[in-house]
Amino acid sequence: MFLDYLYNLPNSTEGIDAIALETINIFPGFVPMLLLFIFLVVFIGGSTRQKITRGSGDYAAWAVIASIATLLPALLFSITAGFIQLDWLIIVVSLNILSAIWFFLDKRVTEV
Amino acid sequence: MERSQITITIALISIALFTISIFGFAIGFANDNDATMSITDDPNVAQLNLDTNSNISTFKEDSEDTYQSILDTTIEPGSGVAQSTGSFSISVGNIVGVVKNIVYLPYQTIFGGGSGFGIFFTTFLAFLVFFVGLLIYKTLRGNP
Repeated sequence: MFLDYLYNLPNSTEGIDAIALETINIFPGFVPMLLLFIFLVVFIGGSTRQKITRGSGDYAAWAVIASIATLLPALLFSITAGFIQLDWLIIVVSLNILSAIWFFLDKRVTEV
Repeated sequence: MERSQITITIALISIALFTISIFGFAIGFANDNDATMSITDDPNVAQLNLDTNSNISTFKEDSEDTYQSILDTTIEPGSGVAQSTGSFSISVGNIVGVVKNIVYLPYQTIFGGGSGFGIFFTTFLAFLVFFVGLLIYKTLRGNP
């Protein structure tokens, strides 16, 4: 065949959920990499922008903001079965807690 | 590194309250939306949720007792000052246990409870020692 697909195409008539689920079935690392992408965009983008405008970046605060921004789509993914595994959800929550420990024990907090 | 006891205590309480609020939000989200999975499906998270809540309530009772002891302090006429400053100290013991419990969760989930966490922690401590050593050197001798 001229156009030989590498995988079976999902049934598009069942809605966009089926397409996403089929993608995740073929490549299980899709959701973790998407969450990592969100975290890094917010963390690196925010802290770098703050460093440019203010001279110093508050990395601990941006870590907290980025981990919360990661938690929200992770919770949304947990509504439908098959999107995200429980392990990844717990890891995202753990990341939230770790960044909060970093933030609250940071010296900068005492300077506010 | 000039951290006072009050600053450390407030930081530890904030960590505990943040953990409780994140857990509450995630558990409430799963309940409200009939999610297929909840973070309480993991036994470590459920146990940490209970432990943190009980630690915070113990700390609340401790601080209330301490405050009551401050109110009950009496100074005898002519004795000058209060003999002991014990009534002004708040026990940090329970609240340190909060952080020990909280750190246990990343230890179990991210590092799988294996020796990886020890390697991570040792490397982090070695970095801190190197950093402090460099700081002392630079303070004494200037930039190397």
